[in-house]
Amino acid sequence: MSNKKWAAILAVLVIASMLLAACPAPAAQVVKETVVVEVEKQVEVVQTVVVEKEVVKEVVATAVPEEEAKVLRINLGTYPDIIDPQKSSFVNEIAHLQMIYEGLTRLDPDLKTVPAAAESWTYSDDATQLTFTLRPDLTYSDGSLLNAERYAYSIRRNINPETAGEYAGITDEIAGAPEWRACDPAGDAAACEAAAATVMESVKASHADGTACNADAPYEDAECNTLTLTFSRPAPYFHVVSSLWVTYPAKEENITEGGEQWYNSSKFQIGNGPYVLQSLEPFVRGYFTPNQNYWRGQGMVDIEYSYITDSAVAFEAYKNNEFDIIGGAAEDLEVIKADPQLSQELNTYPGSCTFAIMFHQLKEPFTDQKVREAFAMSFDREAWVRDVLRGLGAPTLTWIPPGFPGYDAEENRWGFDPEAAKAALAESSYGGVEGLPPIKLTFSDTPRNRTRNEWLAAKWKEHLGVDLTLDPVESTTYTALTKDINTAPQTFILGWCADYPDEQNWLSVYWRTGGFGERIGYSNPDFDALVNEADTTIDPAKRTELYAQAQTLLTDGAPVAFAWNNVNNYLIKPWVTGIVKTPQDSGWSGIQEPLTIDIDTTMKP
Amino acid sequence: MISYIVRRLLWMIPTLFFVALITFILMHAAPGGPWDRDLSARQVDPRTQELLNKEFGLDKPLFINTEGGNPLDSQFFNYIGGALRGNLGPSYRQRGMNVEDILFKPPEGKPIWNSKFGYSLRLGLLALGLAVLFGIPLGTIGALRRNTVIDYFSLLISTIGISVPSFVLAIFLIVLLAGRLKLIKIVQQDWSSPGAWIVPGVILGFGTFAFITRLTRSQMLEVMQQDYVRTARAKGLSEKVVVARHMLRNALIPVVTIIGPALAGLVTGSFIIEQMFSFPGSGREFVQSISRRDYSMIMGTTLLYAVLVALANLTVDITYGFLDPRIKVGK
Repeated sequence: MSNKKWAAILAVLVIASMLLAACPAPAAQVVKETVVVEVEKQVEVVQTVVVEKEVVKEVVATAVPEEEAKVLRINLGTYPDIIDPQKSSFVNEIAHLQMIYEGLTRLDPDLKTVPAAAESWTYSDDATQLTFTLRPDLTYSDGSLLNAERYAYSIRRNINPETAGEYAGITDEIAGAPEWRACDPAGDAAACEAAAATVMESVKASHADGTACNADAPYEDAECNTLTLTFSRPAPYFHVVSSLWVTYPAKEENITEGGEQWYNSSKFQIGNGPYVLQSLEPFVRGYFTPNQNYWRGQGMVDIEYSYITDSAVAFEAYKNNEFDIIGGAAEDLEVIKADPQLSQELNTYPGSCTFAIMFHQLKEPFTDQKVREAFAMSFDREAWVRDVLRGLGAPTLTWIPPGFPGYDAEENRWGFDPEAAKAALAESSYGGVEGLPPIKLTFSDTPRNRTRNEWLAAKWKEHLGVDLTLDPVESTTYTALTKDINTAPQTFILGWCADYPDEQNWLSVYWRTGGFGERIGYSNPDFDALVNEADTTIDPAKRTELYAQAQTLLTDGAPVAFAWNNVNNYLIKPWVTGIVKTPQDSGWSGIQEPLTIDIDTTMKP
Repeated sequence: MISYIVRRLLWMIPTLFFVALITFILMHAAPGGPWDRDLSARQVDPRTQELLNKEFGLDKPLFINTEGGNPLDSQFFNYIGGALRGNLGPSYRQRGMNVEDILFKPPEGKPIWNSKFGYSLRLGLLALGLAVLFGIPLGTIGALRRNTVIDYFSLLISTIGISVPSFVLAIFLIVLLAGRLKLIKIVQQDWSSPGAWIVPGVILGFGTFAFITRLTRSQMLEVMQQDYVRTARAKGLSEKVVVARHMLRNALIPVVTIIGPALAGLVTGSFIIEQMFSFPGSGREFVQSISRRDYSMIMGTTLLYAVLVALANLTVDITYGFLDPRIKVGK
């Protein structure tokens, strides 16, 4: 080859390497300016009885020079697919929304529903109507007015079939909502219009005296502070539902202007939550700064999300002081516990899910209650948590997890008792192990699930003498199989995580006929009657009592073997202070109360 | 030559059609769909699924519409029709975004190479560049200095490269360079600085580097035995000319053959790097779309991969002509 050709190749390589070095985009300009804002604001915290009033006068200096900003660096894991309040449904998506927005109500560290954008609420006598009164002078982070029309828009948008949000069904108590979602505009346009009109009336913003808000400029009407929701049936738990992200008031004009992809731009993500989305670089980082206009005060640190999905790498980065909070992976647990420093930084506390070994009530042999009892009683939950989960879980014998309203600490039926299990199996219509039909233990095929199910099969063999066939299937196939009553396997592990802390969400939503528990064929008319009554009971004490009865009734039939509650497991650097832990910390530890978080810079290396 | 290239490009059309058809059949043969989700959370209710199916055209028949109207108004042919017009369809999971936007559209105000595919392409080229730049010389020296320390060293490195999977190598380098030596940061927030690219590039390219080293070495050893090498030496050519012009040029033909598919593999294969370094490339779309049943994304990334492989193979075939005049392309 001639020298010329070599020179040409060399030239190409040089050019390519220059291209690869990747023409750095100009660094974002850091605007350093000090703005002094004088704020006089009235904070009014009104709960049903206590009235607190204080006047705060303060001078706020914003835009601290960048190098001095305290930044809480969190690895969130998977980058969200969609950050739209009315379309999102995954934990990592909600972890973004929860920073930017706030609902009418919110959950306090004890999972009690407390006032948020609404300072108070009242139910009508029959609990078919819920009226929220918004705080006066509420604003978005950009200073613009936030009134009841904004929430009305969001709730209607969640119902609107054009939105097709994955959590649309959660507001179906609102009169007209199921009809509007179900109607077919091509088939029966009139029915659609009628249903839409019903929803417009059921989700109604008004002045405090009940007069209509300014129809021409609804979002400019500062007096429009009352939101009335009308239900098709009593729903005395709906103030809890109102804390969910589906009610978060994203601005209509931003959604319209930004089009289908509005949620990708921090320009359009203007909210009323504790933090402001400063910048969002997909898959690389999300950066939040405190919302200076937030009614409860300002956060003390900036928050930065990273999206490393490989837990081993995240763990290395944490050890290298590049993260302040990461989720602790089960694989690293031994290392963490053996390390004197890391073991101090590990925070393990109850989570919001219950897992159970499901038995298909319509498939042999689990049609027989005695067989279900035998399987439940030959499952050693303590050993499972210790040997399989490596301590990342807590054994349970009941459905609602600790920390949630309705938790039954007394329940002790169908616990580990191999002798009683064998006796139950002998009593069953199969007469013992020999009479049982073949049983398959189905699971989504991952190394972790393989270990878990092999353990389970081995233990049932040991304690009950039953041979189970392991049946691994691809993960999405598994999901598809298990959600249909006809294809759901004989037995498999499944759980439920709380949408919101109320018994209704655990018992009615899951176990009522037609609910999610129907996939294993559970249907109990007595149970349905109890939860139906509880759902519409207004007296809290009586309601709690009815749900307690329903939960006991559920356990009576041993439909499944309640197995364990998950735990939140996070590594937190010692210089991070003020973390408030709750069972609902599914994004990161402290997400429910970011305002108290601070960083002690003197402790940082 | 031109007519050869045109003919090859035209052949890509039926190739891509069948790739699309097979992918489509396979992905719809797997149970489940894009709205299936983690079972421990609330499921998407049936009515919403219905609305979503309608919105995304999933309510149409798969291949032939027998319900009257246009028989080609089916999921498959609508997809093909869209793809011909450059519309790869909406992603089912990243709502409101089209597949081509996700892959090729850079963030606002950034040039095209800051798109996800652009990132992957650049990283793939960097990895391949490193692999070629170090692999060919190391393999050549190994062959020339056979059974010396250098040869054993090249053999050791390339054996490691072939046998150690990239995620193990990645963790090893991260622990070494970031944890122990504190030379690099693990969490990269700024991919515009060239330094950030080196470690991911090395990890991604290491396997290819090892393969190129071994291939170059074995080919060189074979070529060294050839008569024309002896002739070249006999006629008094300098060693440099013998190696560069007579040996290396012949030894490189198989190496060039693998470079094409290797590039396609590297560009779409950055999944592990992306997971580990929060690298904003397109590899994760390629892998994750499958388990999430994001149908249009599966189709889009598979077709993209097919186009890359086809183009790479075409380039390789053309390169043969330059390396070995005896090979005539287009005949």
